[in-house]
Amino acid sequence: MMAIRAAAGSSGTWDWDIPGERLYLDARFSELCGVDPEAGLAGVSTDVFFRAIHREDRARIRIAVAGIIGGAELFSKEFRVVTANGAVLWMHGRGQSEQDADEQPVRFTGLLVDVTDRKRTEERLRIAQSAGGVGTFEHSDGFATMAVSDEFCRVLGLHPAPALPVQTVNAVMIPGEAPLIPSYLPADGNSGLEAEFRILRADDGAERWIARRGEVVRDGAGYRLIGVIYDVTKSKNLEAQLRDLNDTLEARVEAEVVERHQAQESLRQAQKMEAVGHLTGGIAHDFNNLLMIIMGNIDTVRRRIDASHDPRLRRALDNAMKGAESAAALTQRLLVFSRQQPLDSRVIDVTRLLAGMSDLLTRSITEAISIQVSGTPDLWRVEADAHQLENAILNLAVNARDAMEGSGALTIAARNVTVDGSGLKALEPGEYVAISVTDTGSGMSAETIDKVFDPFFTTKDVGKGTGLGLSMVYGFAQQSLGGVDIVSAVGEGTTVTLYLPRAVGEHVEVAQSTGAAVPMGSESEAILVVEDNDDVRAYTVGVLRELGYRVIEAHDGATGLRLLEKQNCDIQLLLTDVVMPEMSGPALAEAARHLQPELKVLYNSGYTRDAIMRDGKLEAGVDLIAKPFTFASLAAKVRELLDR
Amino acid sequence: MKQVIIALGELERDALTEIVNIGVSRAASSLRKMVGHEVHLSVPSIEVVSQRRAARLIGERELDALVAVRQGFSGAFAGRALLIFPQANSLELVRAVTGDELSPAEVLDMEDEALAETGNVILNSCLATMANMLKRSLTMTIPEVLRGNGATLFEVEDGDGAEGLVLFLYIDFAVRQRDIRGYIAMLMDLPALATLRGLLDEFIARVVGDDDR
Repeated sequence: MMAIRAAAGSSGTWDWDIPGERLYLDARFSELCGVDPEAGLAGVSTDVFFRAIHREDRARIRIAVAGIIGGAELFSKEFRVVTANGAVLWMHGRGQSEQDADEQPVRFTGLLVDVTDRKRTEERLRIAQSAGGVGTFEHSDGFATMAVSDEFCRVLGLHPAPALPVQTVNAVMIPGEAPLIPSYLPADGNSGLEAEFRILRADDGAERWIARRGEVVRDGAGYRLIGVIYDVTKSKNLEAQLRDLNDTLEARVEAEVVERHQAQESLRQAQKMEAVGHLTGGIAHDFNNLLMIIMGNIDTVRRRIDASHDPRLRRALDNAMKGAESAAALTQRLLVFSRQQPLDSRVIDVTRLLAGMSDLLTRSITEAISIQVSGTPDLWRVEADAHQLENAILNLAVNARDAMEGSGALTIAARNVTVDGSGLKALEPGEYVAISVTDTGSGMSAETIDKVFDPFFTTKDVGKGTGLGLSMVYGFAQQSLGGVDIVSAVGEGTTVTLYLPRAVGEHVEVAQSTGAAVPMGSESEAILVVEDNDDVRAYTVGVLRELGYRVIEAHDGATGLRLLEKQNCDIQLLLTDVVMPEMSGPALAEAARHLQPELKVLYNSGYTRDAIMRDGKLEAGVDLIAKPFTFASLAAKVRELLDR
Repeated sequence: MKQVIIALGELERDALTEIVNIGVSRAASSLRKMVGHEVHLSVPSIEVVSQRRAARLIGERELDALVAVRQGFSGAFAGRALLIFPQANSLELVRAVTGDELSPAEVLDMEDEALAETGNVILNSCLATMANMLKRSLTMTIPEVLRGNGATLFEVEDGDGAEGLVLFLYIDFAVRQRDIRGYIAMLMDLPALATLRGLLDEFIARVVGDDDR
């Protein structure tokens, strides 16, 4: 009988006399088996031991013990034991056999250690690893192999094994990557293993990102690397995507900002022009009414003066009239700029228009400047006010002439253009005819270009220009639903391009007005004049009566309608202001037409915003005479209408 | 990855492991006598896999060229047993066995011989023990030394390796403070494996008895 001292921490010891078929147990072991300790020390049969083992593990242990008996030297097995009070514990039994001279096993001794806690910890660790996809490893420096967990192998696509050669593990890295297990560590004492690697997974060749974390544990002269690895491919991919997005984000934000800035600039410019337009329009409108009166009355006096009067009187009146006409022209231009000049738009053949202008251009530009006018053969038609367009082109030509100071080349060209939304920001995508006027003059700086459309802005000397030319061109272009573009640089000349939308529809000839004698009317033709401004009305009525028409007047729409109803004979024509308090011209016209469907209507333009101006063009069937109008123009228009 | 063919149940695997454990212990004892030094062998772990898988397994664990001692066996069941070392290890083993008294050139010369000798001891021991425990007789051929990689050793290239199975054991030798790593593999076809299984069941029945509470 041998007394075996149990080492501290172990649960129990056994000593098995194989030939004698006796098993000696220490106190603890006896306890576990539910055996009286004294009996255990005295020796029991091996069945006692086997009975204490958990039923599921019993066969396995029997086989292992059979191995010992058969000649195996080592025994190392884990199994469960059911204690006397029913608790299940995990035990690790480690033992060895002793053999006699004939190599027969005669003795089998060992230690039984309670590893329940360790088993639980291992289980937790195993589950933690597989649930978390985290594999553990330990490598002692200098050794060719390393201890690994199953999960470690799985992460790398290797077959699960408790140990792997370091070479095998490192072979999984993509060529060029640092090894997962380095053969030496830098001496700087860095004790962390934090790093990421790209691998080709061993089982399927998939490219994955692996993160390694861990510690370097100094162990005497050497060290151990203890750590974990886990697959971070997904987050790496997200990282890369995010980085890409980030990089492009900056660029995209920048592009956005630039675009927005430009849009804001355009808007600011447009708003500025709009505001200025309002202002000038308002002034011009009021001015117009006053001019009407001045011009009208001068005209009246002039017609009463004949050769019998002092010729100086006539001259004075002529000068006065000229002044008034200049003022009228000025207000016209202002109204064009402020886009309150109603347009008489027709479908125009630009090539024909340009051809027709050659005379006008040659007369305006007398200096030694070569003029070239060209259009393309299939030039599209545009819908615009022919007169205004001629004015605009003429304006540009004159500006060009002034920029060239006596000599140079002027080119006017027209071509078809399709705008796609890039470039000139204010222009809607679509088809346009681009009419460009190019000079070889002094050019403009960027600051000048910025201000060049502002009314009254001029680079010319005092008295040499009103500074309204380009503003008018701008206003006309906008009102015609097109645009203007300037390309210029100091010393390099200028090109101003006027864009007009392509017309859809039939070509209509531009009617040429001829300067004929003033057409008269007769007593049988009755005209109802409605105008809230008394002076203007007085003048208008006077002119019409002079022309021979029968005139009925009213100062507002309501009165006009009453008069219309009361008439014995029909009224042929209604001449009405557009903007009037209480009842507007169009409203009056509509009501009047209810009473008299055949009634012709001639509108007086003044402050025409919103009223009859839809896009600045006349509504179909709506006739218009602009204030201030002259005796002759009123006569012609009235006659034209009545004769229709 | 889930290609492991369950040709042996858990208990049968335990039984086989124990039997090989005995064989390996006996081999260690013999080697001890040959070498005159302590030879310690670890407790083997066993896997039953296809030949293709075995080739891969060993390929994963060993990057060197491999050296193997092969012996055929026949009787109740037939097959081929291999004792496999990585190249570097085999020379270590030779040095351990020949006692460090030879020059490197002589060691190289002696290599095959020493390997064959050692392999014979170990494989014989294992197979003899198996025969003994399973109460059947087995005859063995003369050992031969082979070199190659997992594919050649496990005859995967031939194309007809699809049907056989490999009992794959991983063991550690410690000889004269040298760590030598090796593998024992037994190639058997399915009928042979079926016979083995039957024999193992008999063994288990003998050992475990009626312990069926």
